[in-house]
Amino acid sequence: MNAVASPIPVPVQIEVQPGPGLLADVGSGPSLAAHRSRYGVLSTPDLSALLSLIEGAGIRGRGGAAFPFATKLRLSASGRVRPYLVINLSESEPASAKDAALALTRPHLVLDGAAATAAALGAKEAHLALPGKRPEVVTAVRRAVAEREDRVRWVTHVGDARFVAGQSRAVLELLAGRPNKPVTAWDPEAKSGHKGRPTLLSNAETWAQVGRLVLVGAQAYAATGSGGEPGTTLLTLNRTGTVPRVIEVAFGTPWSAALPPAWHGGRYLIGGFHGVWADWTMLDSLRVSANDMRAANLPLGAGAVWALHEDQCPVVATSEVVGYLAAESSGRCGPCLNGLPALAAALHGVRTGAAGPTEVGRLARLVAGRGACAHPDGTVRLVDSLFRTFAAEVHAHTSRVCLVGQREPV
Amino acid sequence: MSRRRVHQLKVDWPNCTGRGVCHGVLPELIDLDPWGYPIITGPVTEELLPLAREAVRMCPQLALRLTSTP
Repeated sequence: MNAVASPIPVPVQIEVQPGPGLLADVGSGPSLAAHRSRYGVLSTPDLSALLSLIEGAGIRGRGGAAFPFATKLRLSASGRVRPYLVINLSESEPASAKDAALALTRPHLVLDGAAATAAALGAKEAHLALPGKRPEVVTAVRRAVAEREDRVRWVTHVGDARFVAGQSRAVLELLAGRPNKPVTAWDPEAKSGHKGRPTLLSNAETWAQVGRLVLVGAQAYAATGSGGEPGTTLLTLNRTGTVPRVIEVAFGTPWSAALPPAWHGGRYLIGGFHGVWADWTMLDSLRVSANDMRAANLPLGAGAVWALHEDQCPVVATSEVVGYLAAESSGRCGPCLNGLPALAAALHGVRTGAAGPTEVGRLARLVAGRGACAHPDGTVRLVDSLFRTFAAEVHAHTSRVCLVGQREPV
Repeated sequence: MSRRRVHQLKVDWPNCTGRGVCHGVLPELIDLDPWGYPIITGPVTEELLPLAREAVRMCPQLALRLTSTP
């Protein structure tokens, strides 16, 4: 499979803005000494205390699926054998840089979250899946691990540069020494994961949120956010031609306050390349809230946002993203291997006015739900949302008119 | 209270090579896409259960499973 450039390249540089929780005081640097002087020594609650802390704070996974962390924790603790922990720092989505931001500025919040959980579970090994295409993150995490003395043993693994490398089963394959590609999951990994044992696998931000919760306590944790959703979330703000910005936003913040005023009034991809398109009217009425966004059919996913410039067309952008995603298939599942390139070609036909939208719809229905991982489904979600949110722009393209006036190629 | 178990065919996609044997055994529930990979069209009814088991057994890649939910 030939590599296709991502319309948003993996960043070589990111801008990390100080925030109210995880990213407080980022200027103090990533060292363990700075971390301990801010947060003190890590206390390790027992499992039931940890569970009630996490349930109280309502922490959900921040890797995209927003699965309740307490449910995973309870399931991984219910087996008869010691569970493994996995800290997923793969961040194989180019539009996301929040895990990189944590690795570079706040690695010990991530590691404290895992260390506290390992202690509560009696886990002896915590595996760190690191991104092959972000060498500075690999260096930063290894440096942080070397500073620590924990009962849990840290094991690092460097994954492939592929988009699907960060998928949870692909990460477990990496840990097992097999190709870093998705395989079929017959059970949740919290029930049967690494070496067939219960495995608590979560994204780096999730572990950092757990770490901060344990360090500051429930009350201080809930001092930011809204009543229903305590705490904060990280967002990666992408704008073509500028350095991606990682910001931390209290849940409940209006989007108009989270996004720079110069970006208001535009078109936005919410939730990264497997995400959903929104226009300003939709976004301006919403708050940065996992619950509200899910209810509005605009799930935050891993918090990656792409704010298009005025002269960037969502049809062209989606076509570029789908072309990239098709080439990033691991090539293992027939419907994805064959269907995504066909879908990308059909969408390119719509973009150039060579074809109507019917074939796109047919192929989207054909690949959806037919793969070991969510790659085909996520791609279809993106295409569906283009047709739903920007129907006029799509229709114009089929008549060789671009309403945005973007000149080809992007 | 007894509830009928629902049987479902599931494809292990990374192992499926699209040979189409399953479609030959059970066309009632298994279509093929343009590339020859199976499309499961519905849950397995009681009368089709023996053929579904046969389709699972016949798969050269062992890439078809029969799952049931109580």
